[in-house]
Formats: sequence, C-alpha cells, structure tokens
Amino acid sequence: MRLIARYAVELEEAYEVVTVWDEQTDRVRVPKSDPHIETLSRTHPAAIWFERKMHDDFGIIIDNAFDNRPLVHQERFPRGLHPMQKHFTQTAIEPAEYLPYKYEAIGGDGVFEVAVGPIHAGIIEPGHFQFSQAGEDMLHQEVRHFYKYRAVEKMLEGKTLQEAKAIIERISGNESVAYQTAWRDIVLQAAKSELPEANRKYHALLLELERIIHHLTDLGFIPNDAGFGAALAFCSKLSEEARRQMQCLTGHRFGFGAISFDEVQIDTEALRVYLDDLEKEMMFFEEWITDIPSLWDRFDTTGILAHHKALKYDTVGVVARASGVAQDRRDNDFYRTHGFVLHTEKSGDVAARFKQRLAEVKNAIVMMRALLTETTESVVLNEVHGGDYTAYAESSLGELFMNIIVKDGIIERFFVRDPSFMNWQALHLMMPGNIIADFPLINKSCDLSYAGNDL
Amino acid sequence: MIRFWNKRLKTGILTEAPDIDEELAALRKSLKDEVKKKFAGSLAIRMVDSGSCNACEAECNALSNPYYDLERLGIYFVASPRHADVMLLSGLMTFNMTPHVLDAYAQIPEPKWVVTLGDCPAMQAPFEKTFAVNAPATEHLPVAHHIPGCPPAPDAIIRGLLAFLKKI
Repeated sequence: MRLIARYAVELEEAYEVVTVWDEQTDRVRVPKSDPHIETLSRTHPAAIWFERKMHDDFGIIIDNAFDNRPLVHQERFPRGLHPMQKHFTQTAIEPAEYLPYKYEAIGGDGVFEVAVGPIHAGIIEPGHFQFSQAGEDMLHQEVRHFYKYRAVEKMLEGKTLQEAKAIIERISGNESVAYQTAWRDIVLQAAKSELPEANRKYHALLLELERIIHHLTDLGFIPNDAGFGAALAFCSKLSEEARRQMQCLTGHRFGFGAISFDEVQIDTEALRVYLDDLEKEMMFFEEWITDIPSLWDRFDTTGILAHHKALKYDTVGVVARASGVAQDRRDNDFYRTHGFVLHTEKSGDVAARFKQRLAEVKNAIVMMRALLTETTESVVLNEVHGGDYTAYAESSLGELFMNIIVKDGIIERFFVRDPSFMNWQALHLMMPGNIIADFPLINKSCDLSYAGNDL
Repeated sequence: MIRFWNKRLKTGILTEAPDIDEELAALRKSLKDEVKKKFAGSLAIRMVDSGSCNACEAECNALSNPYYDLERLGIYFVASPRHADVMLLSGLMTFNMTPHVLDAYAQIPEPKWVVTLGDCPAMQAPFEKTFAVNAPATEHLPVAHHIPGCPPAPDAIIRGLLAFLKKI
C-alpha cells in the first residue's frame, strides 16, 4: 500500500491518529494523558516526517522511530510547546535558548560536511541542505526544511470555508489552482452540491494551464543549471506568455481567486490561437534541445531515483512518474475523455524528469483544447454540513491531499499534505554517486515546493 | 544549431518597457545620476524570502525573462549579501527565518537599504498573525520602501524600484 498522509486530530480526551493509504484509512486513538504511537517508518521511511511533525504539533511520542529530532521546531523554538493543541492560543512566542540541531553525517578519514542554506544564492525559497562529502563525491545529504513554517493549519482553525479560501490559495503560489480545486471539492461535499460539467472543465483547464506555466519554467531552468542558458531565455519567454494567458482568463497571473462558483465567460478563440502557437513552439524546442549532446551528457544518469526506491518512499507526481511509477490523480474517466494520457519514463534521472515535463506540457495542450468551454454556470451552494472531508488534486508537482473537519460551520482541523512533503524525503536517494556540482541540477529537476512543504 | 539562429532572427527583440516607457524616459537621467552617484553605476539586490508562497520569487525571476530584462536598467540580483546594496525582502518573517534574515541584513555593507516586496512583509496579505509569524518587517528592520501587490507583477516591481531610487 502507498502511504498518502499521517496526521493527528485532537478530540476531547484523546488524539486520533489518522493514517491515509491509497486503499484504506486507519484511525487509532491514543489517550491525551499518555500519547504514544508505534512508528511506521520501518516499512515506510517517508512516515518519519509526518511522525516528527505530529510530535512537534501535539506532543505525541513516537515509539521505536529511528529519528526523534524536532522537525518544524528549530533551534530557538521554546521547548515543550505543542502549538497545535487546542488550548494553545498565543499569537507570539519568545525565542528560547539556542539548542543546536544534530545533522545526519557520515564520519571517516577526510570526509567533511558542507552546509548550504537556509538562504540560497539565487532567487529561491529558503531551506537547508547538509552534505557529507568525500572530495567532490556526495556520500549523503540531509534535507532540513520548515524555515517558512507559517502555522497555516492553526491559522485556519475557527474560520468558515469561505473565509479560508484566500489563505488556502496562497499556501503555495505555484500550485494555487490545485489548492483551490481541492478546496472546491471539499466545499461541494460539505454543501452537498453538484458542480456543472462546464465548470468542471473550466477548472481543469486552469489546472492544466498552471501545470504548463510551472513545467515551462523548469524546462528553462534545468538546462540553465547545466550551463545552457539559451534554453532559459527561450522557455522563460514561453512561461511569461502562459502566465499572461492566466492573467487574461482569471485576472491574476497566478490564478489567485480563479476557482469560484460564479459564472465565467471564456474567449475560446483567443485561447485556441494561443494553444496552436504554443504547440509549434514546443515542437521546435523539443527538436532543438534533443539535438544538443553536451546537455544530455549532463542529464543522462545524473541523480537517479530507482523505481523500487520511488515506491518505497511513496513518492508522487513528476518525480514518481519519471521513475516509472504510474500514479496520477488525473487517471480517471473525466480526464481520459478529455485527452489525458498517463506518461511515465523509466530511467529516473534528470533526463527522465526533463522528458516527463516535456511530455506533460504536450499532453496539457491537447487536454486544454478538449476542455475549452464558452461559459460556466453560477452555482448556488446549499448550507454547509459538519463532517470530515477529503479531497485530492494533481498539482504541477504531484498529488495534493487535503482534509478539513468542519464543525458548526467552521473549520475544526485543517490538514494538507503537499506533494513536495513526500518527494523532499526521497531527494537524498538521488545524491550518492554524483558530485556536489550536480546537486543544483538534480534539485531543479525535481523542483519541489518549500512553502507547500513547510506550510 | 542553425535552426536556433533562424528562430532567433525571426523572433527578434521582445524586450518591452510595458507602459512605463514615458515615466522611464523622464526618470532615466536622474536615475542614471543617482545610480552613478550612490551605487557606482549599478544597483545590486540581494533577494531574501522570509516565508512567502513563492509567487514573489517567481515574479522576480520573471524580471530576467526577455520581456522585462531588468539588467538593462543597471539593476541586478546578487548571490551574496556582502555584494548587495539593497535587501529585497518577501514573506511573512517567520519565527524560524527571522534570525537568518537579520543575519543576512548584518552582512550587507553600509550604506544599505531594505525594500519589502509584496503584501506579506507588510502584513497586508490574507495571512493572519500566528505564533510562527513575525511580520510586519518594519518591527525588525529599517524598511526604506515597500512594493505592494500579491504578488506585484514584474512591471510593478520595476516601477517600485524606480520609486525607491527616486526617494533616496
């Protein structure tokens, strides 16, 4: 079974630990007076971040875990504080005494450590990478994040679903439409309302446009990190044009506020012309870029994530599919009738992730044509019913999981698992056998979100 | 490769000065003098994300695409705070990032300025105060100028930087 998420919910006298698998959901109650739970990390290594977070959030003790270090709470975070507990209501905390974090490191003659971050050299999000090096060779890498932790889960408690929308769509800017789509599905479940086919098509079209923008950006940045700047100039032009399409359609370059229950008119003719143009540009780009041997010399066999490891670490999205894992939330009748083809690559290296993105852009163009619709209908929502609601979306990074518990019309618990939360934990598997100069290239080929991961 | 050069000739120059051309022309002389006097001909920016959604960073990256090409104005992004004149700060100043932001600021040689980017550092985005949020940035750093927007589009960032240069 594939592990999707693991999180805790606070009840009156107990914590309920929810473990979501692709085939079932397990619920275990542990008393608040002595909260203990057995680790899953022996069989599913990616469970460890969920469990470390659960400890930071609620103080639940994880038995037999190979790693008990704090995850979200960093060096200066006050000890013994578990802010997701309901009785914690402070809106400010004072930094505590600095307690060093013990990094994973490999010892040995001449082995040294390289610390990178949290602030990086380029215009990128903050996060920390700690390398154990034997000369140029990377022996091990630890990914350490949560510098951007804003406590969004706590922030949303006590709000209505409508009030939460503006925050949910800003959790991760690159995945805004995906987050909004998951939010939409939860609202529909809670209001026991149906979405007209035309609206569904329009929202799916926006999600594909978001995917195109994100992939095009990466298709430029990946070759750029291998020293081929011309591709960046070419693709950043295309991604700017795609972003302007998003602006035309939704009034916002990132689609903030795009998913609503209102009626929308769409200029399908202009969009059709744009898609034809983009298709031609992509044909040119693919032919051109495939023909540059020195570039593929850097891409091929760099940063391999083997198929069995991609499965073992429960990876999702582009990273999983590039390693031959046929997993995609769009793999259903609705998407298939609109031209979706599940593409996978085999080699699991930078080249595979690059080709995967190329294939997904081309498929997204085909799908957007099939999803074109002149107008959507306005939907009148029924009253919101309390309950435990789950929704999924396939963002440009991979499978997004969202769960909201609604009680008396307001959010009792909000939990979201960004695709990056899974994939960051598999990043270190791609490092051994590569030199440190290839790290930026490997990292960019995965292009994971820090904001969505850290929340 | 010959296909590429053909394509390049056909595409031509895309760089536009969206609708700021007039403003820019008027500003150019004083801007040039200011940059020359205060920044030896070029303004170096160290971008620091203190807990954003990554949209502000995406728009800063877009400043380098062929449509905007920020460097033609003598303004460019540098890798080290020690090479910077200005810290461009986005995000909510999270509890975890605050010490690192202050550290980066301390590394910038005098004279230095902080420009905040986007609604987050000014606490004007939809995000609310939690224990993990230390914004507004003005409580922690001497902010010289603010560029609003969620996120500010590339032309709004250019406009904002020009306004900042005019101000100092």
